[in-house]
Amino acid sequence: MKKENNAMYILRLAATLLAICAVVALALAGVNAITKDRIAAVKAEKTQKAISEVLPGCVAVKEVAFTDHTGLVKKVYQSDMSLSSNADVAFGYAVEVVPAGFNGEITMMVGVSPDGKVLGISIISHAETAGLGAVAAANSAKGQTFRDSFIGLTAPVAPSKDGGQADTITGATITSRAICDGVNAALACIGNMG
Amino acid sequence: MDFKRQFREGLLNKNPVLAQLLGMCSTLAITTSLFNGLGMGIAVTVILICSNVLISALRKVIPNQIRIAAYIVIIAGFVTMVDLLLQAFIPALADSLGVFIPLIVVNCIILGRAEAFASKNTVAASAVDGLCQGIGYTVALVVMCVIRELLGSGTFGGGLLNGGEGIRIIPEAYPAMQMVMPVGGFITMGLVVAGFQWLLRRQANQKKGAGK
Repeated sequence: MKKENNAMYILRLAATLLAICAVVALALAGVNAITKDRIAAVKAEKTQKAISEVLPGCVAVKEVAFTDHTGLVKKVYQSDMSLSSNADVAFGYAVEVVPAGFNGEITMMVGVSPDGKVLGISIISHAETAGLGAVAAANSAKGQTFRDSFIGLTAPVAPSKDGGQADTITGATITSRAICDGVNAALACIGNMG
Repeated sequence: MDFKRQFREGLLNKNPVLAQLLGMCSTLAITTSLFNGLGMGIAVTVILICSNVLISALRKVIPNQIRIAAYIVIIAGFVTMVDLLLQAFIPALADSLGVFIPLIVVNCIILGRAEAFASKNTVAASAVDGLCQGIGYTVALVVMCVIRELLGSGTFGGGLLNGGEGIRIIPEAYPAMQMVMPVGGFITMGLVVAGFQWLLRRQANQKKGAGK
């Protein structure tokens, strides 16, 4: 009988592969245990940073319930005045929205005042084209100008190319429109709160 | 073990991207800024060395019939580890490379070297092979990045120098944006491979001529 057809040999093949998989899985579990907390901390830090960017001066937020008809809103945070002793801090909402960009979802935070004005936007993660759509999130003068162009706008928000008041990034109309979609969803969501 | 020859092969004669034409997908996709190119190159080099060493060490244990499955499990393990470590410790790079880090699993350079080299050679030689091929890959990526970034965004060192903006060489109004889009990737790739082959051929001809 050929070696390959021997039942014992086939079992040995399976056992070898099982052993390799088990060792790799164990090693991965180890790395996961080391990095899990760190990754969660990085994510939380990003969210926190985005909130403080769109609600300047805000020290604490709490998550609140919301109604959303667009399907783009993930979370709504409200600045928690009870924890702040400073009366000057901006009172408002930070809305996490995920509009569809050019290369997939854009996760962004939109600051909204109770009277429905945009206080600021900040992009948490995206997969837009480097040098084009990625400018929206870039930590550069161009990116900052684009994001600041939303401040003070009310619904409906549209890019300048479509006749709106928000800026359009050159060569990235789809990204610019997507961000406007996100802002509109956030404004509508806060509008629903009455 | 011939370190000098292996280094030469990794960088020139058997350069994974420019001579073997492996790992095209990542090469075309991420070569839009120097930061991406260097980061991807280093990540692949680290994974290539680790997987080459382990596969070489296990080359007598892994039966021939299940070798590909075993290699892929090992490679996927290392890639996932690097992915988790990047997310935890270098989040900027993890954000920038996004889905292309997990996709290193199917980067054929790594499986190719496992099959062609590590499964037949000693651990030390395989480690050197991983390093040399990794350097060859990184150099090819950096060349592509510099060309595409310069022509497409008009900058040098994007994501790294000048606070992430890169040093502006061509004024903002002029760069050809198509160069950082997929079509620019294909055009650059074709021209770089053609130029590289021309250089190699010329060198080989000169050697032949000198030997006469």
